[in-house]
Amino acid sequence: MSAPAIVLRAVVCVAGGRAVLEIEDLAIAPGERIAIVGHNGAGKSTLLRLLSGFSVATHGRVEVLGRVLGAALPAAELRALRRETGQVLQGLHLVSRLSALDNVLIGCLGRVGGWRSWARCYPEQERAAAAAALQAVGLLARAQSRADTLSGGERQKVAIARLLVQQPRLILADEPTAALDPAAAQEVCQLLARAGRTATLISVLHNPAQLPLLAERVIGLREGKIAFDLPLAAVGEQALGDLYRPAARMRASGCPAISRPGTRVLRGSPR
Amino acid sequence: MHPALAAAERRAGPLRSRLGFLALALAYGLLVAACLGSLGREGELSLGRTPLANLLKTATEFARPSFVDAWWGNPQLEYVSDDGTVLRVEDRREVERHYLAGLAEASWTTIRIATLGSLLGALLALPLAVLVARNLAAPRALAWLAKGVLDVARSIHTLVFGLVLVGIVGLGPTAGILAIGLHSLGSYGKLFAEAIETLDMAAVDAVRSVGAGPAQVFFNAIWPAVLPQFVSSHLYIWEFNIRDSTILGIIGAGGLGLLISEATALFQWGRLATVLIVVIALVASFDAMSRCIRKALL
Repeated sequence: MSAPAIVLRAVVCVAGGRAVLEIEDLAIAPGERIAIVGHNGAGKSTLLRLLSGFSVATHGRVEVLGRVLGAALPAAELRALRRETGQVLQGLHLVSRLSALDNVLIGCLGRVGGWRSWARCYPEQERAAAAAALQAVGLLARAQSRADTLSGGERQKVAIARLLVQQPRLILADEPTAALDPAAAQEVCQLLARAGRTATLISVLHNPAQLPLLAERVIGLREGKIAFDLPLAAVGEQALGDLYRPAARMRASGCPAISRPGTRVLRGSPR
Repeated sequence: MHPALAAAERRAGPLRSRLGFLALALAYGLLVAACLGSLGREGELSLGRTPLANLLKTATEFARPSFVDAWWGNPQLEYVSDDGTVLRVEDRREVERHYLAGLAEASWTTIRIATLGSLLGALLALPLAVLVARNLAAPRALAWLAKGVLDVARSIHTLVFGLVLVGIVGLGPTAGILAIGLHSLGSYGKLFAEAIETLDMAAVDAVRSVGAGPAQVFFNAIWPAVLPQFVSSHLYIWEFNIRDSTILGIIGAGGLGLLISEATALFQWGRLATVLIVVIALVASFDAMSRCIRKALL
């Protein structure tokens, strides 16, 4: 087996005087497809931000694609890492005043430097690649539309087209289907699965129906700690139900537990 | 009141409560009373001896702007001495036409001062705004320095800059351009920094997340988002500077201000009315123009 894509050892993230993430040991091999599940505030987004270097761990060692992240990592190395890391983030991470095509072309900024990347005068082959990526997600007709005129589903598809142009080795998807209707969510998941075929894919998901599409290994987080780490086949309703049980949520947010037996908070969780 | 609500109100700060606001209003009222009272006690609140007669006289002269003389003035105005000899014959139309030509040239100078001064201020403000904007997290020391420069520039009036600069670069529009540029630098910096601060940080993160360098982030995420706002602020301050530069002539920086100070010094209210009509027309037309452009941009 080759060197792992991601290694976390004794990682603790503290925010607002509270440990929001504590991971003793986690290794992810190249090409693995991982889903992270857990209730809101369980540390899923923190974990992804840690992997992309947008947050820094308070303690412990975070190694991604052979680089140890932290304050000691030079900025150029961090940028090199991000070039190999594609992200589809919760919400709508596009430059709203640029066209869909220009947003997709942002994916090639790691390869195109200098004045061309400043004036958005990209080489012809990159423009062709961007157009092909837009076609792959079915949005070629909207290439010149400004991103703020696109619908939520279309924006997520543009973000996936950006991934296709970027060709990253690692893809981090934070609730890629949040705020999408079921049909659009399904489509976005399929496109994401296709984009992630040649990469390590880590997605934060809430909908168990999407697990088989995007994951073969599921990591459950509860209150910042790993509750389970199982192959997809071994994850049953029981494990997911325990993870999302209201009592666990209430304890996490500091409210008295209210017992609501039989509630499943899994599907369509807002945010 | 529910104790939790009371606690929440305490946390929100003393001015959020009604009593706190009342105290603030009271303090303001006291300040106004102190200003009025002390000025009154020093006898500085007088309106002069014959304010009404003066007002009437000025108003009548204002009501007849001098430019009408260019068409309807007396072509043979005779200046006669007390013993009846004609000292001088003046063609009022000729004189006023000459004055209008001078006025046109002065307006053009004012426009040039405002335009070049605004551009200068905007260019100088741009790097400072980038340093000051909190969300871009420039090095602390540099940010404070830039903020200091902007505050100083904003708090020193154009006229003061002009007076100093006239001493340095001599009389003429150059001093006016530099004065406008240095003062509006402060306003530009503040508006530009605010435009950058209201920026969609998600867009910045999106570009950063593909490993883009600082320059790439600037040109791909920040520039497209702030450019329309920059153009809008530029037009706004430019328009403000047109107004401001009409006064600069008073200190010898050329333009309409020179004619204003001339007319007021000689109590020629008719001429002042003519100049002011031009100023108002200039400002109003520029205002209309910039509003159209700003609306089309956003």
